[in-house]
Amino acid sequence: MLDEGVVSRVLSEAAAGGADLAELFVEDRRTSGLRLEDRRVEDVVSGRDAGAGIRVLTGDKASYAHTNLLDEGSLLEAARAARAGSATSAPVAMADLRRVEGVAVHPVRLRPEDVPTGDKAEALRAADESARAAGGEVRQVVVSYMDVRQRLLIASTDGRWATDDRTRVRFAAQVVATRNGSIATGFEAPGHSGGYELLEERPAAEIGSRAAAKAVRMLDAKPSPAGEFPVVLAPGAGGVLIHEACGHGLEGDTLAKDASVYAGRVGERFGSDSVTIVDDGTDKGAWGSFGVDDEGTPAHRTILIEKGVLVGHMNDRRSAAKLSAPDRTGNGRRQSYAHLPIVRMTNTYLLPGPDDHEEIVSSVERGVYAAAFAGGEVNPATGNFVFGMSEAYWIENGERAFPIKGANLIGNGPQVLNVIDAVGADFARWEGVCGKDGQHAPVTNGMPTVLLGRMTVGGTEA
Amino acid sequence: MSELLALAARIVDRAASGEAIEAFVTHEREFEVKAYDGAVETSSAAEPRGAGVRVVTDHRVGFAFTTDLTEAGLDTALGDARENARHTTPDDAVGLPEPEDVSGELPDMFDRSILEETAETKAAFAVELERVTRQADPRIRTVEEAGYSDSVTDVAIASTTGIAAAYQRSDAWCYSIAIAEDGGDTEVGFEFDLARSLSGLDSAEVGRRAAERALRVLGATKIPSARIPVVFDPYTAAQFLGVIARVMTGEAVQKGRSLFAGRLGEQVAAEGIDLVDDGRAVGAPGAAAWDDEGVPTRRTEVIRDGILSSFLYDTVSARRDGRASTANAARSGFKTPPGPSPSNMAFDPTGGSRDDVMRSGGRALLVQDFHGVHSGANPISGDFSVGITGALLENGEVGRPVKEVTIAAPMLDILRNITAVADDRRWLPFGGSFGGATTLVSEMTVAGS
Repeated sequence: MLDEGVVSRVLSEAAAGGADLAELFVEDRRTSGLRLEDRRVEDVVSGRDAGAGIRVLTGDKASYAHTNLLDEGSLLEAARAARAGSATSAPVAMADLRRVEGVAVHPVRLRPEDVPTGDKAEALRAADESARAAGGEVRQVVVSYMDVRQRLLIASTDGRWATDDRTRVRFAAQVVATRNGSIATGFEAPGHSGGYELLEERPAAEIGSRAAAKAVRMLDAKPSPAGEFPVVLAPGAGGVLIHEACGHGLEGDTLAKDASVYAGRVGERFGSDSVTIVDDGTDKGAWGSFGVDDEGTPAHRTILIEKGVLVGHMNDRRSAAKLSAPDRTGNGRRQSYAHLPIVRMTNTYLLPGPDDHEEIVSSVERGVYAAAFAGGEVNPATGNFVFGMSEAYWIENGERAFPIKGANLIGNGPQVLNVIDAVGADFARWEGVCGKDGQHAPVTNGMPTVLLGRMTVGGTEA
Repeated sequence: MSELLALAARIVDRAASGEAIEAFVTHEREFEVKAYDGAVETSSAAEPRGAGVRVVTDHRVGFAFTTDLTEAGLDTALGDARENARHTTPDDAVGLPEPEDVSGELPDMFDRSILEETAETKAAFAVELERVTRQADPRIRTVEEAGYSDSVTDVAIASTTGIAAAYQRSDAWCYSIAIAEDGGDTEVGFEFDLARSLSGLDSAEVGRRAAERALRVLGATKIPSARIPVVFDPYTAAQFLGVIARVMTGEAVQKGRSLFAGRLGEQVAAEGIDLVDDGRAVGAPGAAAWDDEGVPTRRTEVIRDGILSSFLYDTVSARRDGRASTANAARSGFKTPPGPSPSNMAFDPTGGSRDDVMRSGGRALLVQDFHGVHSGANPISGDFSVGITGALLENGEVGRPVKEVTIAAPMLDILRNITAVADDRRWLPFGGSFGGATTLVSEMTVAGS
């Protein structure tokens, strides 16, 4: 993307006023997206966003400048701007640039840019038709497709030279169904790190009909009871709970600021022997995977909770230094060249356990089966969280009796690990987009069927 | 003609016959600095620019954007937009707006002093904000982050229909996140302010209020489930508006994803309640002389005396309803095509101060923060069930702090039960621009212990 000589000169300029480290992040991102709504392909958009960010680290301070002009003169100007924001310290020498090894590869079989736009539009129509075939209750269908190819170069004064070429594809269907004045929605949105073959593995028509089936099912939902009940988390979708309640508190930047409920508690038991949680950016083809992170560190599999005991956390360069952590875990991520890297999860999984998933449901006398969450929110400082359920069922005598609406789950991160009473042997992934400090990152949540012994459920029936 | 408008015009000049083209070009100068533990933690400076191009041919629209503003880069973007247009479904409503014979100028959009503030001054402001927050009370354990940001933005829009508009704006904002700890409980307080330049911001006030918000809920516990009056503070009132605003566009109604569909002319709120969208609201973050299609902005009464009286429209959605745009086309930068969205939306005050409204609830729940709004609030179905942090009110006196409870009610019931809106409105940029004021909802379900 850039000549090695240019990179060296830009880094030297950035470090000239003194620095612990200067780093250049160059990105060339091409996106294409289509959206169908109301039976019409309404938006077909594409674009190119290319630019570079220069970061100068001095002690605890990071100074940054970015530009979308990639000529040497503009890069040198950005380097000086980054330097101007930094306090002076001892100058750092520019080390010889060496390619980072051990980079995970996520294969792309069908390059999305080689697929005719007309085929992508046809896939949208297929999903729309199959969704509408689910019944007369289907009132609205929104289908979207997006692909992004992100080519990266990350180089720094300590000699790091890393490149990555990431392709992601996602296909989403949202269906609104109505009957007698009641309205329900269904959503299905698989994605992966790979090419257009996603739609061979997950045909568009099937994605549409699954979203529609959910919406139609939820039309029968009754208002959720409120109170304290056992809660069964469905495989996959329930993983957002682990992501929010546990994952964010184990991000190194939050720990370093002592703003996490998990700070200083390594070695402490938070759950039973069945509870093991990992963050794995190497998972082949997973939505949150990559080759190197956005600081050029190879993707890594990090164990966070092992058999119930807190053993690890996630870092970027800065948090690793602040926490004197020996290892960089490949969790430094940024939304684009216009953003400073921060500590982010990749694919966060609660690993399968010993229990039969059907027996987990049949063991519950009265409780909630949470099939899908609409999202969640956690305060890392306190561990308190709230999750809204977009698809949930009331369990009566071990059976899923009827769908419920307006249910949400409220509680506390460490406490939820403690009430995991059973962990299924099944497993599923769920793809999402995580927001933190105003930056968005693709992440996967994964888990088996899990039983939470007792949780507070908020609902509309007091 | 500004340099940016000239660039937009050069794109439009490439139009072939039978083709309508619109170019939207922005050039920003941004600066941000964050402070932590008495020192600058990060600072960032940038000057991004880019162009978005819409092409309309035979009632089909295509869009492409680029950061490559060379002639070759612009040619590529235009070619992509033309190709993209071939794959959209033809629609008679699709088209670009015609220019209106209105002076769009809006005063007080740009404060020249922003150009004179140095990076050092801005950094010192952030450090001072962090310090005053931390030192506000011994129970403030730390400040998660305090920050200052500003931007100077130049926008230009040109089209083959004759629109040629350009303006410059300046924005400065700051925030502080206080973490309070006492007796084993930890709580967070967020406070925010915005102005046209650094000189319009008050670090002492923002820091003091961030600490105050954390301290107010320190020691919070659950309360028993009940049906009681609820008072939204300006923050949560603005967030609630943000939820319902998403489905107050004509587009959401046309596409069957609004709980307001079919309710035009109906009583959807209590008598005496007015909800207004004002693209020209002074000091509001969404104020601009033109919307993002170049249509001069205006004021639209969405709810008048409790009656749903209008939806909000961009050009395409307006044509579908056979009416004129309400100048509510918005984009999130040059990378997205325009779509309908509220500009600055707020309830008009019903009379009375914050204290009056808090007192009028009797025994009520004051809601300081929502948790899980994006999952617990569904403006299509109207379901609203979110976690909250707040405090009990006894005749206006803030009492026992409360957390880990949810409040729930159908959104239309919440709207109909809004009986008082105080005169303490603040503009808050929570996913748009919403005016938040202390607001009384006469009854909601509280789920606790």
